[in-house]
Amino acid sequence: MILNYIKIAFRTLLKNKGYSFLNIFGLAIGITCASLIFLWVEDEVSFNSGFEKQDQVYYVPTHQEYEGEWRTFNSTPGPLAEAMKTEIPGIVRASRTKQRDFLFAVEDNSINSSGRFVDADFIEIFSLSFLEGNSKEAFNNPKAIVITRQTAEQLYGKDIKVLGKLLKVDNKEDYVISGVIENLPKNVTFPINWIAPFERFTDGKEWTQYYGSFFADTFVELSPEADFASVDTQVRNLLEKKTEDADSKAFLHSIKDWHLRSNFENGEQVDGRIAYVRLFTIIALIILLIACINFMNLSTARSEKRANEVGVRKAMGSGRSRLIIQFITEAIILAFIATFVSILLLLILLPQFNLLIGKDLILGLTNPSHISILLGITLVCGIFAGIYPAFYLSAFKPVEVLKGLKVTQGSAKFIRKGLVVGQFTISIVFIICTILVYQQIQHVKNRDLGYNKDQLISLNVNGSMIEKFSVIKQDLLNTDAVTGVALSNSNVLNGGNNGSGLQWTGGTNTEDVLISFRLVSSDFLETTGMELVEGRGFSENVAKDSTSVLITESFAKLMGEGSAIGKKVIRDETYTVVGVVKDYLYGNMYNNSDPVLFLNYHGEANYMYLKTNPEIATVNMLSKVESVMKKHNPAFPFEYTFVDETFNAKFKSEQLIGKLSQLFALLAILISCLGLFGLAAYTAEQRSKEIGVRKVLGASVSGIVKLLSKDFLKLVGISILIAIPIAWYFMQDWLQDYAYRIEINWWVFVFAGIAAILIAIVTVSFQAIKAAIANPVDSLKTE
Amino acid sequence: MTNTLLSLNEATRTVNSGSNKVTLLDNIDLQVKEGEFISLMGPSGSGKSTLLNCIGMLDSFTGGGYTFLGEPVHSMKERNRSKLYKEYIGFVFQAYHLIDELNVWENIETPLLYKNVKSSERKALVADMLDRFSIVGKKDLFPQQLSGGQQQLVGIARALIGRPKLILADEPTGNLNSKQSTEIMELFSQLNKEGVTIIQATHSEKNASYGSRIINLLDGKVVS
Repeated sequence: MILNYIKIAFRTLLKNKGYSFLNIFGLAIGITCASLIFLWVEDEVSFNSGFEKQDQVYYVPTHQEYEGEWRTFNSTPGPLAEAMKTEIPGIVRASRTKQRDFLFAVEDNSINSSGRFVDADFIEIFSLSFLEGNSKEAFNNPKAIVITRQTAEQLYGKDIKVLGKLLKVDNKEDYVISGVIENLPKNVTFPINWIAPFERFTDGKEWTQYYGSFFADTFVELSPEADFASVDTQVRNLLEKKTEDADSKAFLHSIKDWHLRSNFENGEQVDGRIAYVRLFTIIALIILLIACINFMNLSTARSEKRANEVGVRKAMGSGRSRLIIQFITEAIILAFIATFVSILLLLILLPQFNLLIGKDLILGLTNPSHISILLGITLVCGIFAGIYPAFYLSAFKPVEVLKGLKVTQGSAKFIRKGLVVGQFTISIVFIICTILVYQQIQHVKNRDLGYNKDQLISLNVNGSMIEKFSVIKQDLLNTDAVTGVALSNSNVLNGGNNGSGLQWTGGTNTEDVLISFRLVSSDFLETTGMELVEGRGFSENVAKDSTSVLITESFAKLMGEGSAIGKKVIRDETYTVVGVVKDYLYGNMYNNSDPVLFLNYHGEANYMYLKTNPEIATVNMLSKVESVMKKHNPAFPFEYTFVDETFNAKFKSEQLIGKLSQLFALLAILISCLGLFGLAAYTAEQRSKEIGVRKVLGASVSGIVKLLSKDFLKLVGISILIAIPIAWYFMQDWLQDYAYRIEINWWVFVFAGIAAILIAIVTVSFQAIKAAIANPVDSLKTE
Repeated sequence: MTNTLLSLNEATRTVNSGSNKVTLLDNIDLQVKEGEFISLMGPSGSGKSTLLNCIGMLDSFTGGGYTFLGEPVHSMKERNRSKLYKEYIGFVFQAYHLIDELNVWENIETPLLYKNVKSSERKALVADMLDRFSIVGKKDLFPQQLSGGQQQLVGIARALIGRPKLILADEPTGNLNSKQSTEIMELFSQLNKEGVTIIQATHSEKNASYGSRIINLLDGKVVS
């Protein structure tokens, strides 16, 4: 019996090639699209999950209170780890960590490598597996360093028996390789290429021993029996117990939640990246739905063709249930063919998709979970898409269809129209969202930063760049490739390096305002293009100017009415405000930035900024800068970043959303159009006799095209009306997340509506024109 | 000594067309004995097809009694009725109504699938039937590759495959030329001799004459 169904299914498919193509192709696009999304989702939810004790390992961030609001930071005080381990039962291991970039050099081979200083417990917490050396003794030597297999291979080649070798770091410090570990999984939030004893980092740094300095990332391991809630409560109370200050609370955050659920608002966990994972899962399902709707529509539209078969089968003794099974089997077969096509599409498209989203996803067809999901999608699509047509078709009365009576399509026609409206509503919502997401990203990108990010390059400070700063600066300026050189302790684009507890004269002296500190060289403002609104900039003579500070406008506002110049700011010593700088944007590009205090001190600089001469070609400029840097800082490779590029990279996740929504909008429209195209074809076919009669009676081609297109355009019109409020609601909600955001403009809706109508006209008119120019003699004589 | 196959007792069929009640079949009394070959005659719209469909249980009478092999069809549930006609009735249509997507062999096989006949038995039965109708060479062809006469031959083979007691044929030669018609009617009378009861609806006096009894219908009533 089943064999008979399969035979019939294949023959029907082959006989109606156009229809089969529309159905299979539509469904294949849907399945491809959903598969890509599910691969991405799989990657996202599997972050930090490759570890043996993943359910017991927690990351320890802190909530800190400023101006009555809790903010959340990754860093913890140094002594916290040890205190948690010894004082809280249930915590069996704890490790402080501090991320660092090292320059490793072996003979001519040098690489930059990111890793962490960690406590010995770290090895056990993450069950690091040693390929060389062993976990117990790895940190015995204070100069020890453990590197990953990949790092070992990059430095020494295939032979990783490198125990005991001396490794030069940053061309000055010596480390001894005490182990080689297996590489960490790719999707971890804390990628490491090496680990070294934490004491090497804290050595000689008194401040790392205080509860007042938050600098370390802390991980803990709970014993399997431990009660999370009680341990978490004790962790939350620990800092207050130690400092008698209730304004910071450390807490436990599962490493599995770290990647997707790390947004905190006023001390409470809010969604985070998981919102996007959910959103895209829903989009995947919606696209599958659209593809299934196509199938339903085309199947019921073609029902007259199948009606005869239904009648004959019933007369031959088939019950209704057998016909239902037959039609669902057909739909499932079709879904399987679509899946096969989509696997081919996936093989072609996955590399492009990886490029788009910046990941390294693999299809993994040998992975049982991938296969079962794909099978699941196929079966669900087949059954879902087939069930309505199956019930509809199997209900035909044999007497009626065998007599050749016209099948009454009342309910099917209505449902079909509803489904088309559904498809187009979704497509139009996608169009509107795509436009608004794009606008929002552009809006923020074009925001006035308060400085000029163009022609600005940033170098990491290393070696003797600080000591030789004035020479380097002079040499760079002499090349004519550079018009300004400055040092800063912080990246202009980023937040961090902030604190509260400052006091000042004038204004309300709220102590707990969070102020960012920027330690810069005297020409920082000119180099970055920041604007001085009042007073003067820093003097070149650092010694004379060491108690002068510059503040931003928002800081000046805190100091109350009148000019801020001459007012005092007290931190550990008293400073005098000499200038006010226009507010500039850093950290979260969608919000307003905290007030900034600039100090004229470059001894702790981490970044060197160069303003380049726009008249010199980039290649020449770079080679000139490189030769200067090589001359004064020969041990280090010349590495630079363009600030505008780094700026653009900050929009990675929004841009990803933008790109994906474009892609999905396009696909949703494409699938919907395939369906509309098919429907238009069948309507034209169904009405061929009517068209023939009308033409004989003198109707014009354009009149008939209008007649055929009108019905469909009406449906698209209804879709527009439904889509607008839905899209408006969603986008309004999305924009709420951004303090700096666009207003939703009415013309976006008009544009999306017109686009949808145009697309529908193009799709439908092809069939309409074909039907309208057909010779009426042909259509009339066949009846 | 021949058994009664079916009997109609004041069987009536009405439909509602708008607000009017239209009577298609009006108090039909009819006894059909096993082995009869009945020709229904009458002009278009006289109710021949409706009567055939109702007897064949594709449609049902709205009044009166219908007994088939001693069982009261009029009071039966859909499921049992379907069982009954699957077992005992075969249809032959004017427009053949073969399934386009199936070849000759598969078309003939279809009723057996619905009767859950085993695969090996199906093969034997279909092969017999092809043999008997001398269409073995055409078994892999599809309906559109056959002439009208050949298609109707397949249609009859399909109706016969389930070994029905009754064949209902609605103008079986209506789409055929006279030579093909004669062949089909010869086949029917041959089948009738082998014991199959046949009821055919026809316009043609010549075809009607093959039957053992002629029933004339006019406006839903039996006139003779």
